[in-house]
Amino acid sequence: MKQHLQRQSGVANVDVSLIDGKVNVTPKEDGQIDPAGLLKATYDSGVSVAELDMTASGKVVKDSTGGLSLQVKPNQSFVISPNELSKNLEPLVDSTTVVTVRGQLFKKHAGKQKKADALAPLRLLILEVKKE
Amino acid sequence: MNRKSLAVLLLAGCVFVVPKLEAQIRHIEMRVEGMT
Repeated sequence: MKQHLQRQSGVANVDVSLIDGKVNVTPKEDGQIDPAGLLKATYDSGVSVAELDMTASGKVVKDSTGGLSLQVKPNQSFVISPNELSKNLEPLVDSTTVVTVRGQLFKKHAGKQKKADALAPLRLLILEVKKE
Repeated sequence: MNRKSLAVLLLAGCVFVVPKLEAQIRHIEMRVEGMT
């Protein structure tokens, strides 16, 4: 699995802990990493992902449906699932402020994981808005 | 050095010294099952 992940675009380092089943992925400084690609690569290596969390900095924008998104690159953004913490981001919509958040992009549903679950569009559930 | 030059120098210093927070993915952590 580690080799699968290290071959992904934008990945600088992969650290696997067999004891607690944690995989830490460090992105390249100037690269573009694709969390959905990591999820697929992990699934393809025969390992099931229970949860994927991401820490990212970006601008808060409104998408075409009126929901919030975190834009981390001009061509890469993540739809934010509404919760109490995401309400705090609303004043930042379309401002130039870059905010750093930690959020959950994927969580396995109870029962057997289907490939469709792993390939479904990822939504960012904000867990923490970091002060910087 | 006149005031205008000093102000420009200070402004330029701020641009280079203050670290800019760039938009990017900083870290990804996965919890996996079935790993041997």
